[in-house]
Amino acid sequence: MTRPRPLARIAAWAVAGTVSLLFLYPYLWMALGSMRSTRAILSAPLRPWPEQWTLDAYIRLHEVAGVTLWRAVANSLGITLASTALAVGITAMGAYALCRRPGLLAFRFLRGGFLLTMMYPYMLLVIPVYIVMYRLHLLGGYTGIVLFLSLGPVQFFLFEQFFRALPAEVIEAATIDGAQEWDILWRVVMPMARPVVATVSIITFLLNWAQWFPVLVVSTTPDTYTLPVALLNLNGELGTDFQGIMALSVITTLPPAILFLIAQRRVIGGMTEGAVKG
Amino acid sequence: MGGTTIRLLLAVGMLLLGGGARAQQLSIWHDLGDNGTKWFNEAMEDFARTHPGVSIKPVSYPTDQWFGRVTAAINTDTAPDLIYNNYERVIRIATQTGKIMDLKAALAGVPDHGYLSDDDLRVATYRGSMIILPIQRVQMAFGARKSWMAKVGEGFPVTWEDTKRTARKFQDNDPDGNGKPDTFGFALQASNARSLIHMLDLFVFGSGLKHTVIDPDGKIVIDEPRHAQVLEAFLRIFANDKLVPPDTVNYAFNEMYQVIEGGRAGFFRVGDWNVNKWTKQAIEGDFVAGPWPKFFPDLPNAVVIGGMRGVAVPENSPNKALAVQFAQFLLSKPAQQISLNTVGSAVRKDLDTSALVEQSKRFANPEWNLVAYDFPESIHPWYSQLEEAYYRKLMAAIASPPADWQAFIKQTAEEMRATAKTLAAKPN
Amino acid sequence: MTLLRHQDRVFYLFAAPFAALTLVFGLWPILLSIKVSLSESTTALARAPRFVGWENYATILADPLFAASLARTLIYTALAVAVNVGFALAYALLLNSDVIGRGRTFFKLAVFLPVVTPDLAGYVVWRWLYDQSFGALNAGLALLHLPGFGGIASPATAMLAVLIAELWHHAGFYVVIFLANLALCDKALAEAAAIDGASAWQRLRYVILPQLRPAILINLIYALIQFLKTFTVVVVMTKGGPNGATNFVSYFAYRLFDQGEYGQATAAGTILFAIVIGISALAYGLAKRGQA
Repeated sequence: MTRPRPLARIAAWAVAGTVSLLFLYPYLWMALGSMRSTRAILSAPLRPWPEQWTLDAYIRLHEVAGVTLWRAVANSLGITLASTALAVGITAMGAYALCRRPGLLAFRFLRGGFLLTMMYPYMLLVIPVYIVMYRLHLLGGYTGIVLFLSLGPVQFFLFEQFFRALPAEVIEAATIDGAQEWDILWRVVMPMARPVVATVSIITFLLNWAQWFPVLVVSTTPDTYTLPVALLNLNGELGTDFQGIMALSVITTLPPAILFLIAQRRVIGGMTEGAVKG
Repeated sequence: MGGTTIRLLLAVGMLLLGGGARAQQLSIWHDLGDNGTKWFNEAMEDFARTHPGVSIKPVSYPTDQWFGRVTAAINTDTAPDLIYNNYERVIRIATQTGKIMDLKAALAGVPDHGYLSDDDLRVATYRGSMIILPIQRVQMAFGARKSWMAKVGEGFPVTWEDTKRTARKFQDNDPDGNGKPDTFGFALQASNARSLIHMLDLFVFGSGLKHTVIDPDGKIVIDEPRHAQVLEAFLRIFANDKLVPPDTVNYAFNEMYQVIEGGRAGFFRVGDWNVNKWTKQAIEGDFVAGPWPKFFPDLPNAVVIGGMRGVAVPENSPNKALAVQFAQFLLSKPAQQISLNTVGSAVRKDLDTSALVEQSKRFANPEWNLVAYDFPESIHPWYSQLEEAYYRKLMAAIASPPADWQAFIKQTAEEMRATAKTLAAKPN
Repeated sequence: MTLLRHQDRVFYLFAAPFAALTLVFGLWPILLSIKVSLSESTTALARAPRFVGWENYATILADPLFAASLARTLIYTALAVAVNVGFALAYALLLNSDVIGRGRTFFKLAVFLPVVTPDLAGYVVWRWLYDQSFGALNAGLALLHLPGFGGIASPATAMLAVLIAELWHHAGFYVVIFLANLALCDKALAEAAAIDGASAWQRLRYVILPQLRPAILINLIYALIQFLKTFTVVVVMTKGGPNGATNFVSYFAYRLFDQGEYGQATAAGTILFAIVIGISALAYGLAKRGQA
C-alpha cells in the first residue's frame, strides 16, 4: 500500500489511544483510590495523582474478611500453583491419550462429556459441587478446590491441538525402537511439548488466579479464601473502607498483570489458538 | 504449603473421625464480623472454666452468604453446632430446613429468666417452637450528625416537618464545610425487598403505627390514611425530594454504612450494635440518637425494638448437648456482660453499664419510648413473597414517580390484597 | 487384536485422571443438579429426596419473574454480543491497518490486559467508577459538559452499565481473535481491489469481511456462551438491581439457591443450560454449513 498520510496516522492514533486510555484508566483509578481519602476523592474525583503517597490502606489490610492478608496471599499462590501443575499434567496426559486413540468409544464419550461440562453455567454447579465435595469429604479443604480448578477447556484444546499436529513419524520411530508408551510420552513427546506446556501453565495460572466462585463454595471457613474471595467479602463486611477495597484490588490484580506483561506473546497466542480450535 | 497440607489432611481426618478423638470444639456461624468473633471467644473463656477442654470456632460470614451457607450446611448434615442471627433470619432457616431445635426446654433450664418478657418470648417462637434463645434485644434509633445540625442551625428533629427541613439543609448548605455539594439528607438502603421495607418499617413503627404491610389477621394496611401518609413521605424522600444518594437503589446495609461512615449523610439508622464503633472510630461520636420522626400529634414517636438476636441449634448439630449448654450460658450474667461490652446489647437488666460509652448507655437504660416490630413473617409464612411483590411496586414508583401518590398507594394496596389472597391459598 | 487392546490399556491409564475429574467434578454434578431439579427443595439435599417430577419446572415457567429474567438475559446477550464483536472488529481493523504503524503492540495490550485481570477485582473498581457522587465517570462527563450517566443507579441504564464493564473485561479477547485472523488474510487482495478503484467500504464488505468469516463465527459463539451466563458482574455491581433491571437467569437462579429453593434454582439452571447448548449447537451447525 502507499505510505500512509500523516493526518490519517494521527487520527488513527487518536482513536486507538483514546480507547487504550479508557481501558487502562480503571487501573489508575484503583491505585489512586487506595491512597486517597474518601473526602479527597469526593472533592476532586479526577485528580490524576494522590495528595500524598501513602500505603496506610495496605498496612491496615493485615486482616481481611476473617483471614490475615498473608494467609489469603499464600492461599492464592498455593491453590493457583497446585491447580496449575495438576491441570497441566492431567490434561496433557488426557489429551494425549485421546489424540492417540481417537476412535475408542469410551474416549469419544469422554471428549463429549468434557465439552458438555464446560458449557454448563458455572455458578449453577454450586449446590451439586457442594454435595459432591461433601460426599467425598473434601468440603472446607484445599484438595477439593485444587481438584475442581484442575479442569479447563483452553488447556485441553491447546494440548489436543499440539498432539494432533505431532508428526506420526516421531511416534512410529520411537515405537520401532521398542520404547514403551510411557517412555514415548515422557522422553519423546513431552520434551517436544515444552513450549505448549509453558503456554498452558501461564494461561492456567492467570485463569485460576481469578477464580472465586468454586473457592467460595468449597470453603467452610475463611481459612481457605483466596484474594478474590477475600475481596468479595471485604466488600460485604460491615462498614468497610473504600481505600482498603481498592488496595486489595491492587494486590489481587498485580501478580497476573505482571505475569501477563512478561509473557504477553505466549498468553495472547495461546488463548487465540485455544479458542480457534475449540 | 507443606504445613498447611498436613493440617488439611489432619482436618479431613478429624472430619472423618467425627471429631470424637479430641476435646470438643463448638462451631458457631454469625454475621457480626470481628466484634462477634471477639464476643464468642471471650464468652467461651468463661464457659471453659466449668467445661474444661471445650473451645469455640466462631466464623463470620457476610449476611447474604450466611443465609445460603447455613441452609446448605443444615440440609447436607454438615451443620455447625450453633448459628447466631436475627430472629427473622432464623425463621427463614427454620422454614427452609425444618431442622431448628425447639429450645423451650433449654430456656426452662436457665434459672430466673424473668428479664425476658412475654413479648420477647413471643418473638423467639415460631409455629410453637422456640427457635432462638434470645440473647440481645435489637434497638434501632434515628441518628443525626451533631456538627451538621449545629452548622445548619437546627436541633434534633421531632416532627416530620423538622426532619424534612433539616435534611434539605444537610443536602444544600454544605454542612461538612468542604465547599462541595456532596452531602445527603438520609442514608437508606433499597437493594432488595428486606432492606427497603426494613427502612420503611422503622419510619412506620417509629411514628407509632403497628404494622407496615399486613396485620396479624391478614388485612393489608398500607392504604389506611395514616399508613399512606408515612408511606408517601418515605417514598418522596427517594422519588421527589431526592434526599438520598442516587445509588441508594443498589445499597444493601454495607453500602449504607459506607455513606454514613464516609460522612455523607445527616440522618441515618443507629442500631445499638453500631454505637461502640461510631463513638470510637468512623464518625468519632459526631452523632445523636433518638426516636424516629413524629408524624401524628396524638401518637408518641419511638425507638424501634427490632426483635431479638439469638442463638439457634440445628437438629443435626454435631455436639448438640454441649451447644445447648453454651446457648444457655450466653444468658448468664457474666456472658451477658461480655455481650453488652463487645456487641453493645444484651437482654438482662442487671448488668453494669458504667464501662459503656455515653451513647450506648442510652440504649442500655432506655428513657425513650420503645415500640416493638410485629414480625409478620412469624404469622404469615408467605410474608416474604408478599414483601417481594410490594418491593417491586415501590421500586417502580421510585424509578418513575406517580403524579398522585395516594392513588398509587390505593392501587398498590388493592394489588397486594390480591397477591396476599393468592399466596394464602397456596398450600405450603 | 489382543496386542492392540493391550496397547489401548496404557492410554486408558493416561486418560484416567482426566476422566476421573471430568466425571466427578463435571458430569456427576450436572446429573445431580438435574436430579435436584426434580426434587422437593427441603429434602433435595438429604439422603432420600422426595421426587416431585416436573413440578419445579412448572413453578419456574409459570413465574412471571423468571420469564422477565429470561427475556432480559436474551436481550442483554444479543446486545452484548453485537456490541462486543462489533467493537472488537472495528478496533482490530484499526490496529491492523498500515496507518497505525508503531504503537500497535501497546494498543493491543491495553485492551487485552483486562482479560487477564481477575474479573471480580475489575468489577469492584467499575462499581465504584459508576458511583453517582464518588465515581470518576460522572465527574469526567461533567468535565466534558456531557449529561450525567445513571450507571447502576437507574433501572434505565443499569444494563448498559453492566454491558460496558463486561466489554472492558471481555472485548480484548475478541480483538486478538480478529487480529490473528487478519494476520492470515491476503493483503494483496485488498490492494488489488484498491487499485481497481474499490472504495474503503467496498474493500471491507467484499474483500476483508469474507476472509474474516472464521473469526466472526468463533467470536459469535464464544460471546453468546459468555454473555448468556453473565454472573460475576451482577454479583459485584448490582445484585440484580435496581429493581430487577440486571437480574439475569444465572443470578436469578443463584438467589433461589441462597433462599434454599434448590429445586427451582436447578430447574432454572437446567433451562439456561439447555438454551446454551441449543444456541451453541445452532451456531456450530451454521459454522459447519458456512465452511462447506
